[in-house]
Formats: sequence, structure tokens, C-alpha cells
Amino acid sequence: MDRAIVVDRLIKNFEVTEKEKGLRGSIKSIFSPKKKTVHALKGISFTIQPGELVGFIGPNGAGKTTTLKTLSGLLYPTGGFVQVLEYDPWEKKPEFLKQISLIMGQKNQLWWDLPAIETFELNKEIYEIPRRDYEKNLEELITLLDVGKLLKTQVRRLSLGQRMRMELVAALLHKPKVLFLDEPTIGLDLIGQQKIREFIYEYNQKNNATIILTSHNMDDLTNLARRVIVIGAGNILFDGALEELTGRFAKEKIIKVSFSKEIDIKKVELVGTVKQVSFPEVTLSVARSTVAVAAAEILQNFPVNDLTIEEVPVEEIIKKVFRGELTK
Amino acid sequence: MRKYFQIFRVSFQQEFSYRLNFIMWRVRNVLQIILTFFLWSSVFRNPQTEVFGYNQEKILTYVFGILVIRAIVFSARAVDVAGEISNGDITNFLLKPVSYFKYWATRDIASKVLNLSFSVVEITLLFLILRPNLFLQVNPVTLFAVFVSLILAVILFFCLLFITNMSAFWMPENGWAAQFLFIVIITDFLSGGVFPLDIMPLALQKVLYSTPFPYLLFFPLQVYLGKIVGVEIIRGLVTSFVWVSILFVAVKYIWARGLRRYSAEGR
Repeated sequence: MDRAIVVDRLIKNFEVTEKEKGLRGSIKSIFSPKKKTVHALKGISFTIQPGELVGFIGPNGAGKTTTLKTLSGLLYPTGGFVQVLEYDPWEKKPEFLKQISLIMGQKNQLWWDLPAIETFELNKEIYEIPRRDYEKNLEELITLLDVGKLLKTQVRRLSLGQRMRMELVAALLHKPKVLFLDEPTIGLDLIGQQKIREFIYEYNQKNNATIILTSHNMDDLTNLARRVIVIGAGNILFDGALEELTGRFAKEKIIKVSFSKEIDIKKVELVGTVKQVSFPEVTLSVARSTVAVAAAEILQNFPVNDLTIEEVPVEEIIKKVFRGELTK
Repeated sequence: MRKYFQIFRVSFQQEFSYRLNFIMWRVRNVLQIILTFFLWSSVFRNPQTEVFGYNQEKILTYVFGILVIRAIVFSARAVDVAGEISNGDITNFLLKPVSYFKYWATRDIASKVLNLSFSVVEITLLFLILRPNLFLQVNPVTLFAVFVSLILAVILFFCLLFITNMSAFWMPENGWAAQFLFIVIITDFLSGGVFPLDIMPLALQKVLYSTPFPYLLFFPLQVYLGKIVGVEIIRGLVTSFVWVSILFVAVKYIWARGLRRYSAEGR
């Protein structure tokens, strides 16, 4: 098997009923519901190799979660072809389900009123994990995630971060080969995020697991994903190495200048957009096509100590992605 | 099989984590039975009075019988299915190698075992306190028919409950209302939970007997009371079985359609 995931021209439409505001709107929608079709995915295609860790990025409502849900067999595709580990996810074959896991940062599978260990024991039976493997995996996971002392605490009494780590344990006890992570670090503090990230990295390396991760957290992406797929309004806008994202989408370049004498900042503004001034250092943003001209202009007209031309940091581009400012 | 045993264990624990809820539910049941008991005792103050073929002994057995059969048939956790569909919790099960029906059937059985064991204790206590004249059925063939009809009733109710709950696939926000209407009002009423169905006009009874509802509570109890005998028992069991088959197919069909509609919202 050379491809863990194959997606070909995947289309997913939802039918939603719209409701006008207020009581009158509610009553009206009972008698004449207004139906609207939402085109969540407009024919996306990509493939992922076994062991790859891919980041999905895009603004809210771009179709990231819809893709993950379709890949894990929750949603029925309106059109196109989907294959995960050579299975059709929609068929929900037990052999398929035993090899995947979908983790969503927003909600949990743990039994709220019982200690987490009860959910683990239940999953052991549901996934038919042999006792020896179960004990080994559990030991490994609770050590890595540092939750050994909390196993017998009622889930409702755990903090969000602790609960999220328990969720990971519950979702990984059966050692899935393919892992879908939807916003795994949402709502966690920095240390919590860091722990989860290190864990994901380690899981990927150790088990050669294929992982797709969606996140709004820049650090998740820059630290974990080598490859990113940018989704906007149901289309794939970019699919490639994280570093290439900049070259592909940044319309500007950054010029950093260090002046040797005091200058009139107003005159510098004529050359490009001034982003930051901490004299003698000035940072400018200049259109990609004119960067050479702008640099020459600065060197000619101002007393310059040092000048460098840089790419826009990848974080800036990702920020734009999240704001939905990128188009093809 | 072991996975369902584990589910049984966990849901038993879950029931116990809401001790107060559970106790209040039992208290409600006991109060209800005391209320009905005194109501019917005063109506049939004279033990010779007979109305619609019920004397004091049989009407009291009816009231107690309803308590027990309700505990067996109506105590079901699957009422939560609609909620799971509309808030997206059902996602957890769709992702796992586990049958959603068997999962809920297991949880139902756990709930039934728990409720039934409490019912038995309550009834024994109430019996000792109130000392009513109860009718005891001793014929083993009749008792066996009662047993079979109860099993069919449990499956029937499970299917009806699942069908009602699956409406949440199409109307996520209406799940609760539909259930309330279905379980609390229609089912309890039409299945004889409020009063014996045979005090209704004959024509209406005939119509009712072709619906699944009387087979939930009324039919098993009538068999126990010896008011339905012989061929009528067979006919009832067959009708009940036919309904089970129809509803079972319906459940499978609606489930398959519902899943296609499901959009795993809120997750």
C-alpha cells in the first residue's frame, strides 16, 4: 500500500433550512421552510502517503472538518471518491474502524460521570484489544501524557487540559494507523498545547502513523506539519511543503534596513509600506515585483548601514489563510 | 459479546451515579401506584361490584401488574438517542466497531434489570402494607405465554422508541417534543397504562388491537389475568410478532436513510 488516503474530486453538499429571526420567523419556517444547499466541498483531490503528517488550514467553514468527517466515514459523500487504507470509509467495516481514530477538541467520548479508566476498559472491549497489548499501550500513553494519577478521577472533575489528554489516550488505545485530529489544542494553555504537540509528533514517528491535523494554532502547524493543504470555500488552494506556502502566496517581500544617520521617515514611506520603526532599524513591506528597484532606491537615497531582503514570515501567510484572504 | 457485557457494566455504574434522580423516579412510581390503588379501591368498595368484567381483585391486580410491566417494557435508556443525534454525540459510536442498536439494547437491559429489581422490592413492600386481594395466575402454559408476550413487548417498544428518536436526523430540534408526545401521552394511553382498554367501545378496541400499542402493556397483562385465552392468545402473539418484524425492517431502513442525512453537527 503506497497511499494511505486517496481523495478524488470529493463533493459534499448539505441541505440546510434557513430560519428568519424572531418568533415570526420561527413560525414561518414551520410552514414554509426555506431550503438552501451549502456546497461544503467542491471537488477536492489529494493523496497522502503512509506515515505523513499533514496540516489542514483554512478559515472557519472552509471544509476542513467536513473532509475529516468524510474520511472517517461519518458523512456520505455527495460525489467523488474516497479511500482510506484501501477501505471505503462509509461502509464502516469493523476492520477499518479498528485502524482509525478521529479526535475533536470540542467534545469528548469519555463517560462524563465515571473515571476515565472506565472508558478505557470499555474501548478495550469494543476494539477487541488483547489484554497484554492494552496494558502496554495504556502504560505507554499515560506515561507520555503524564496522566497516570488521574485515571480514577471522575471525568467531570478533570481540567480541560487533563481531559484532552485523557481523550487522546482513549482514542489511541487501539493504536490507529490513521489519525484525524480536529483542533486538538483548542482551549489549552501554552504548556498544555506543547505537551499535546510533542505527543503527536512522537506518535507519528514511533508508529509511522498517518496523521491529518486541522488547527487554528499557528504553532501546531509550523512545529508539526511538513506538508500543508490550504482549503478555502470548499476548494484546495495550496498543497505542498510549508515553506513553499510563502513563495506561492506572499505578494510582498520584506526589506530590513539599518540606517547610519537619522533620516526623514516620511521619505522612506514613499518607497514602501513601513511596518516597524525602531531606529536605526526600519522594516518595510514592498511588492514582490518591485523589490529590487525599491532596495536600489533606498541604497541610493539614504545613508544605509545594512540592508536585507526577506520573505514574509510563514505565520503572516497562515494568518491571512485564517482570515480567508487567500484566493487562487 | 464481551464488549456488550462491558457496556452493561458501565451503564449500570452510570445509572448509579445519578442516585438522586433514580430515587426520585422510584418514589414517583410508588406514589403513582398508591394513588391508583386508593382510587380503584374506593370505586370497587363493595367486593361484589363488577364493572366491565373487573371486580376489585382483578382491577387491583391490573394496577399492580401495570407497575411491573411498565418497569419491564417502558424503562429504556434509548430515549437519549434523539439527543445524541442532535448534539452529535452519536459520532462516537459511528466511529467505533460497535453496533449502535446492540449498544442501546444493552443499555436498555441494564436499565430494565435495575428498575425491575427495585420494582420487585417496592411491590413486595406495598403488598405487605396494603394487603390487597391479588389474582395469582398459576397455569404454567399461560405464564409461558405471558413471558413470550413480554419479550415481544420489549422489542416492540425498543423499535418504536428508536423510530421516534431517529426523527432527530431530519428535525434535530424536535426530538424531545416528539418523544414526549409519543411515550408519555400516546403510548401509555393506547397501551392500557392509564386504564384497562376493554372499558372502551368494542369497535375502538378492534382498531386498537390491530396497532402495536396494546401489545406493550395491555395484552401481556390480560393474558396473565386470564381474560384472554386459547386461540386469542395465539392471535395476539402472532400480531405482536408481525409488528415486531415490520418495525424492525422500518428501523433498519430509517437508520440507513438517517445516516445519509446526518451531518455530525456541533462536532
